[in-house]
Amino acid sequence: MAYSDKVVDHYNNPRNVGTLDKNAQEVGTGLVGAPECGDVMRLQIRVNPETQVIEEAKFKTFGCGSAIASSSLATEWIKGRTVEDALAIKNTDIVKELSLPPVKIHCSVLAEDAIRAAIGDWKKKNGAAEAAHAETSAAK
Amino acid sequence: MLKTLESAVPVACWSCSVAHNDFTLFCPHCSKIQPPPGGDYFAVFGLEPRLNLDLPALEKEFHRLSRKLHPDRFARSGEHERQWSLADTALLNDAYRTLKDPLRRTEYLLKLRGAEIGEEAAADGNSRKDPSRAPADLLEEVFELNMQLDELREAHAAGEESAALESSLAAAKQKFEALLAEVDRDLRQQWQAWDAGDETAREAAQKAMMALLDRRRYLSNLVRDVTGTLGA
Repeated sequence: MAYSDKVVDHYNNPRNVGTLDKNAQEVGTGLVGAPECGDVMRLQIRVNPETQVIEEAKFKTFGCGSAIASSSLATEWIKGRTVEDALAIKNTDIVKELSLPPVKIHCSVLAEDAIRAAIGDWKKKNGAAEAAHAETSAAK
Repeated sequence: MLKTLESAVPVACWSCSVAHNDFTLFCPHCSKIQPPPGGDYFAVFGLEPRLNLDLPALEKEFHRLSRKLHPDRFARSGEHERQWSLADTALLNDAYRTLKDPLRRTEYLLKLRGAEIGEEAAADGNSRKDPSRAPADLLEEVFELNMQLDELREAHAAGEESAALESSLAAAKQKFEALLAEVDRDLRQQWQAWDAGDETAREAAQKAMMALLDRRRYLSNLVRDVTGTLGA
């Protein structure tokens, strides 16, 4: 199967490969997998607590070219967006940008899932902290 | 979905008009070749869907039917029979290739039972909405194994030719293969459960097999990657 030029470009020069400290308060980590093909993808974000803007995004994907390209593109797109804006990214946007064939659509679904999982993890960490904070201030 | 033997519908033979079930390649009455039957791959061999198969018997039956269906034998037959011998032969080959391979057989049976398997079926992302298909601990484990392998591969690609590295890679390969063998053992246990079980037991076995096949795909990717690195 022939990959599109954009997939090849992301595959050869993946953007934002790396790791953030998953224990840091402002970091959210999403680890997702595609059981159909055995690909695994980890996507991490560092969110500015004041502005809710994703200032840094890193990924590490073990999988085919389309999975790597989808996650690479996802990190490019979410960087600089607010958390809520990032949630608006749909897998179909990725499919279009990378011209993924039908058999590789699930790679884009995986990338969307990874964004959601990372944001979900960040929200859980920080929403829980906010709620706890609200509780203590209410108790006063 | 394909029909299985239990739901056999009688059809009339094109030649002798005697009714027979729709799954047979030859009319049991007049022995004439029939159009490609509407049953599943098991029915092609006259079998009920089963995961434990007698492979030598399957091979023998495959050769017997191949000979009977061989297009050379129909060279002087009518147009329809000539076409059917080609179509039936193609069906028989597909059926044999699928059933003789343990993994393909398992996946095929699960598909017959309505499971969605394969990259095409994955496009809607349904499998990931089912939390049992991507358990967090499995993903953690697979990701960790991949990271370890990645480190070794990078060192390898950087031209580091140390005996220690080679033996780490070999050890990793051994570890992945052992994990894979464990999955295959577990799969075989589920075969027994499915073959011998009632409907409830079968449902449970199918769920377990789906999870094992998922795990197997992650692990076989690791084996493939480590083997590729060692061979490079």
